[in-house]
Amino acid sequence: MWKFAWRNLLTRPLRTALALIGLSIPILGVIGLFSLSEAVRNLIGTTLSRVQGVVVLREGAFSPVFSDLTSDMLDKIAAVPGVRAITPEIWKIAPSVEGRSAAGNIVRNVLNRDPKAPSKQLQNLLDQPIVVGQDPTRRAQIKSEVFPKAILKGEAGGRYLEPQDVGTDHVVISTKIARDNPRPDGQPRKVGDSLDIGGKSFDIIGMYETGSMFLDVVVLMPIDTARKLLNVSPDTVSSFYVEGDDPSKNDELTARIEQTIAGVDGRSPNEFASNFGSLMSQLDLFLLATVSLALLVGVVGIINTMLMSTTERFAEFGVLRTNGWSRRDVLGLVTAESAYLGLLAGVVGFVLALVFTLVANQFLGSTGLSLSITPRNALLGIGLSLIMGMIGGFYPAWKASRMVPMAAIRLGAS
Amino acid sequence: MIAVESIRKTFRSGSHDVEALRGLSCTIDRGRLAFIVGPSGSGKSTLLYLLGALDQPTSGSIVVDGHDLTRLTESETNTYRRDHVGFIFQSFNLIGNLTCVENVLIPFLPRGITAAQRERAVELLTDVGLKHRLDHRPRQLSGGEQQRVAIARALVKDPKLLLADEPTGELDSRTGDEIYKILRQLQAQRQTTLVIVTHDRRFITSNDQVIEIQDGQLMGAGLATNH
Repeated sequence: MWKFAWRNLLTRPLRTALALIGLSIPILGVIGLFSLSEAVRNLIGTTLSRVQGVVVLREGAFSPVFSDLTSDMLDKIAAVPGVRAITPEIWKIAPSVEGRSAAGNIVRNVLNRDPKAPSKQLQNLLDQPIVVGQDPTRRAQIKSEVFPKAILKGEAGGRYLEPQDVGTDHVVISTKIARDNPRPDGQPRKVGDSLDIGGKSFDIIGMYETGSMFLDVVVLMPIDTARKLLNVSPDTVSSFYVEGDDPSKNDELTARIEQTIAGVDGRSPNEFASNFGSLMSQLDLFLLATVSLALLVGVVGIINTMLMSTTERFAEFGVLRTNGWSRRDVLGLVTAESAYLGLLAGVVGFVLALVFTLVANQFLGSTGLSLSITPRNALLGIGLSLIMGMIGGFYPAWKASRMVPMAAIRLGAS
Repeated sequence: MIAVESIRKTFRSGSHDVEALRGLSCTIDRGRLAFIVGPSGSGKSTLLYLLGALDQPTSGSIVVDGHDLTRLTESETNTYRRDHVGFIFQSFNLIGNLTCVENVLIPFLPRGITAAQRERAVELLTDVGLKHRLDHRPRQLSGGEQQRVAIARALVKDPKLLLADEPTGELDSRTGDEIYKILRQLQAQRQTTLVIVTHDRRFITSNDQVIEIQDGQLMGAGLATNH
């Protein structure tokens, strides 16, 4: 009977192909969007795994960029039991780099589209530089630093900020920022070159590369220099980076800091991960809801196809019933046809998603995001398609199975 | 033996009812070749379909070999259609994407086909002269050949009752003659009860039973010699 059902689908190839397209596109959406969601999760997970300490922010602030605390909190936090080292930080969106502001970059990217380098446009939209001011003296006590470990090996990497850099216009930048803001000769900037930030020239003393799109946008400079550049008063910092005696007890340390000092949030890597996981779960739900609408349209397409198919085949169903086929047999035949349709749409959707991820990965370039279709997502997409196909075929199948054989034959003959 | 007792069949057509059969009673002897004759719209095909349990009469009873078709359950009806009745239609009603052999094996498709059943199907197609057409599709066959496949399909289950609705209605007279020849031959060999609906009386011979219907009522029944 499965062979018979398969042949019935092939009898009307154009209609079958159209129904396949109708359902396979939502399946592409399911697989593609969930792959994207997983890629973002992986990237965030990788990024957070580099952060070993606790970040103290203003209560309710989304990130250090949107946080402001008073500088005198440093001593209070340092006095909390379990704190081994602490350093203040200033995080702000760079006013302009090489004369280009953040807002200007976005507008420029939209207006000056370069069809030869689409990945660069997308990357630029995601890569607005952020200035981070650090206290090189205090930073020297920190062991779990992300950026010093990412300094390139050899002469190309230069060095990280050190206590002698206090009061200088030295900066450490990423290779990405170096590429995005090339020298007049078009070559990426190197250690020893200068970089214009906010209309002021800075000397590049170090070059790092973390591989994460969230971290490789940072321009590091001494905190006093950052204050002058960004007009931040000496009484204010964005956040404190705190290292505990035992990194495995960061959650307890966070709780103690929050209990001791009012108006702050301590964020351990676990908490960042948890907050992000919760955000991504909500995003997944949103994606699912969006894709469900597309799936609904696909199912309606299957219903339409199968209804047309069964309406044309009344006589055939009448003949089958005349020859002893039960209602269940007819129901099974039509459901098998729609199941095949769903399964095929799932496979086609999966193949389209594979192509989509290959193309998307070219566009995402060096953002650190890498889409891949996990077996779980592939099975989810194909399984969902199979179920949708069967659901879509059920009503036409039920209708075909309920026909009185005599009426079916006469309707088919008329 | 088939005993039809006071059957009525009413169809809903738009906003009004149409009475296709009006209290018709008749009997058909076992192993007999019987013709149901009458003008178009007289209820001939409706009676034939009811004998094949393809629908239920509005009232009355139809007893075939002791089984009242009006009292069969859904499952019993399926079994009756599958195992006891063979049906031949005017427009052949073969399934286009199945081969000749597969069309003959339709009754067995849901439960899987055994080697013996396949052998039997080939044998029947050989009997009706289609040995060279086993794997052909219906569209590759002439009308007469398609009807011969339909005959093989009706016979594959060795039915006690063979029902044919205008089996030569879409064939030329020469091919129609061949089909009647085959039907008579098979009926005689197997002693199957064969009931044929027709408006063409030239195929009726003296030993055949004739049931004449007009306006859903029996106008006469008996051996052809009495008509």
